[in-house]
Amino acid sequence: MSEKTISNNPASVIYQRCTVDLATGTTTFAQVPCKNLEDVLGGFGRSFQILAERDIAEAYCPENPVILNTGLLTGTSIMTGMRSYFSGYSPLKQSGTGRPGAMWSTGSGNFGNKFKWTGLDEVIFENRSERPVYALLKEGANGPEVELKPADHLVGLTGHAKIMALYQEYPEAHFAAIGPAGENWQNNYMGAVVMSTDNELKSGEPKSRFAGRGGMGSLMGYKNLLAVVALSSDKLQKITPEIRDVNRDILKSGGSARFQPASQGGGGGTWANIEVLQVFHAVPLNNFRPKGNDDVERLFRDEVEKEFDIATEACHRCGIRCHNNLFYKNEDGSRGKLAAKFDFEPLILFGSNLGVHEPAKVCDLIHRCDLLGMDAISLGTTISYVLDYNERHPDKPLFNGATFGDYDKIAELIEGAGRGTLPGIARGVKRLSEETGETAYAMHVKGLELPAYLPDTNPGYMFAIAGGHMSMGTHMMLAKEGKHSLEEWTQAITTGGLLQVGYDMIGLCKFVGVGIGHDIIVRALKEAAGLEIASEDIVAAVRRAYLRGLALELRQGFHEEKEYTLPSQVMNDPNPKVTLPKFITNEFLGELRQRVWGIFKPEMKGLLPVQGE
Amino acid sequence: MQIKVKLYASLRRQKFDEADWEITPDQKIASIVEQLGLARQDVGTVLVNGLHAGWDETVADGDVVSLLPRMGGG
Repeated sequence: MSEKTISNNPASVIYQRCTVDLATGTTTFAQVPCKNLEDVLGGFGRSFQILAERDIAEAYCPENPVILNTGLLTGTSIMTGMRSYFSGYSPLKQSGTGRPGAMWSTGSGNFGNKFKWTGLDEVIFENRSERPVYALLKEGANGPEVELKPADHLVGLTGHAKIMALYQEYPEAHFAAIGPAGENWQNNYMGAVVMSTDNELKSGEPKSRFAGRGGMGSLMGYKNLLAVVALSSDKLQKITPEIRDVNRDILKSGGSARFQPASQGGGGGTWANIEVLQVFHAVPLNNFRPKGNDDVERLFRDEVEKEFDIATEACHRCGIRCHNNLFYKNEDGSRGKLAAKFDFEPLILFGSNLGVHEPAKVCDLIHRCDLLGMDAISLGTTISYVLDYNERHPDKPLFNGATFGDYDKIAELIEGAGRGTLPGIARGVKRLSEETGETAYAMHVKGLELPAYLPDTNPGYMFAIAGGHMSMGTHMMLAKEGKHSLEEWTQAITTGGLLQVGYDMIGLCKFVGVGIGHDIIVRALKEAAGLEIASEDIVAAVRRAYLRGLALELRQGFHEEKEYTLPSQVMNDPNPKVTLPKFITNEFLGELRQRVWGIFKPEMKGLLPVQGE
Repeated sequence: MQIKVKLYASLRRQKFDEADWEITPDQKIASIVEQLGLARQDVGTVLVNGLHAGWDETVADGDVVSLLPRMGGG
């Protein structure tokens, strides 16, 4: 991205695109002027405009691209500025008409930096390769170069093993790979993109990051694109006094403090959410149905510390240090091998929500999912449905008959899903529940499985455009503030909630924890990218990008009433054990939809290109 | 008068799990938090007898005040 000032002239900002035809191996480079501020900020703000130009009726078709791009601050010295984005029409997210929804997924690690430092801002992978390949992106003497290489030697390896194999060949690079799940794309729609970290490459331990949501790894698998290698020298941006101040403010702001290490007075990462939500008996248990008991307390940090050595680690040069990596303890008390990374989502979705409460067993289930390269949210939530179904139908159970707490059988289900032998699970809970005919307790919205926050507490899920909690920031509002009126929820969804997606444009991690129009963001863009963009312009661009995503959903056939809803169990059988206000009824959702669409729809006009032009 | 204070997660680790606490009548929650030696920015949610409450509210003798750290993430 060229460094220029910008006001009303986004075309003055040029980005570097490479289009790779996987069928022929040809590459085309282009310097592309930005059309609008969404293009400038990057991430899904740019990729969704490309997706909107295409008429895609099914995810697995040559015309559906995988778009890899960065945000404006990726590769800069702004703390957390290392995100890369994978976008395409999702095999998992699907409307009632059968058409796929547009999705993006993102992760950190050091891959985004290296990708940016090759000189590229965007790679569009078109068509599909006949043979397994990986893409080598590298900086050349005259600009970036892109090459496809045979990847037969990577077939069948876990995501981590693929990364380590490629690392032997490219010790200066970073990597994005798929696991066996993505390779089994026909039977697995929830394949993740596994991204390398410095810690992973140095230690050889599977400390990867994941762009998990929406099956972007499965889409790569369909294209026979097994990995992407980003090879460049390190181009660490000089930390000016102004950038240093921005980074200091990120660390000192209350927003990121909750994710910082407990040993340093921080909240201890997302893990701490479990204890807070337990105050209200609002931690998902047995398929999002808390029982009002203390089962989940065995997964509190204090309890886990008795059994494991917990190391606080970080992505590349990130001072927030949100990773809580669990290591087994050797007999002499020293640190043993890595068990798993404990964060709220996998911890709950492979723990209490499956009725598994022993930390060691939860670690093992997380580890299996990670190695196979699946989205922990989609897999965990689909398996919890299976266990729930089997508990309701002991005489005719699904699959191996696993029920809550049945660790060995749950491990079998994970393996089967990842290896492509259990498509009933790996194609997600929407399809499975439609096959069984029992959709009331299938925890998804628009085909995307719900994260580990109860739908009973968040009607905002209806208007998330790329995963329940990552694209609509209302998932903890009820627990935090107790608000439950129509006015408050309309306001939350249509103002602050949607702005959460701004982080998925600019290249920073959401754990920076301030609003997208905050002075910290404005200063970061100015100091690190050389662009002066007013706070209100950033907010307006993020809003347009979000609304474009929403418009794209409607164009793909998502029904504005029937599919903008919650699992019906929430409305028809509210859980008396949750001590938060029970306010979500069919009438409430109907009125909320009407009010939100009433605000959004007029703004959505003209955001999509007229098809055929 | 006396209330019961319950702390959770990082707040609990800073101070205590649960304690009886002497306050003055009409003492506001913000003042109680200060008296406890907690930074206001570390407290995300206040509950009085299980219901959400604001900084400027007062409590009654025998009330249970729960303090939760800031939450977030995914």
